[in-house]
Amino acid sequence: MTTLVVLSVIDIALLIAGLAFYLFVVGSQLTRIAKNLEECANTVREIVGNAEVIRPGVEHINRTGRVIAGALPLLYGMAEGIVKGVTPRPAEPPVRGPARPASGRRRSRLHDSVGYVPSGASQQNAGVAE
Amino acid sequence: MTVEALTSTQKGLWWGAVIGGFVIVLAVAALLTILVVLVRRIDQRVVKVRETLHAARDNTADTALIGETADRVDAVLAEGLQHHLFLGRVLDKVRS
Repeated sequence: MTTLVVLSVIDIALLIAGLAFYLFVVGSQLTRIAKNLEECANTVREIVGNAEVIRPGVEHINRTGRVIAGALPLLYGMAEGIVKGVTPRPAEPPVRGPARPASGRRRSRLHDSVGYVPSGASQQNAGVAE
Repeated sequence: MTVEALTSTQKGLWWGAVIGGFVIVLAVAALLTILVVLVRRIDQRVVKVRETLHAARDNTADTALIGETADRVDAVLAEGLQHHLFLGRVLDKVRS
């Protein structure tokens, strides 16, 4: 009977000690989780505060950008009109003469290569040189 | 005080209760171990969520500049209107 009493006491003590140990472990873990979740909640509130200005700001930028994009063709149309108005136009001659080569008549060098000088070549060359 | 001896049936029941108690202690320990493991997993996931939220907070920390950008875009629009007025005056002079 003494053995039964001792075993019963050990049984109850083991149950109470085990429950206490696991309660302590789970309690510490849940405390850490609660602290992390509280930090998460604060971070979420900060993110919400940061994100509140995004939508109205972007809508404002889009609206203003749309106005600017619509006004730019008008601006460069006016600029083209100004450029067209201030560009000088040269007066064209009333009658244009025939087109002549700027180099004049070509002179052959075949005679020079063989040492032949035809009569009147100096005058011709002089005429070409002119 | 007289102590009565237990019958064999009572002793058997007591032994059964003691053995059943040990079994229950072991089962409770196993279940609580599973609980601790699951809670530890929750703790690790919460830490990951916290880190992700910190990254999101850092990413959205500069959104206050959006309002300032909107003001600058308004300034560009006002300057464009000045350009419009100037070009209109010049165009009228060029045409006249």
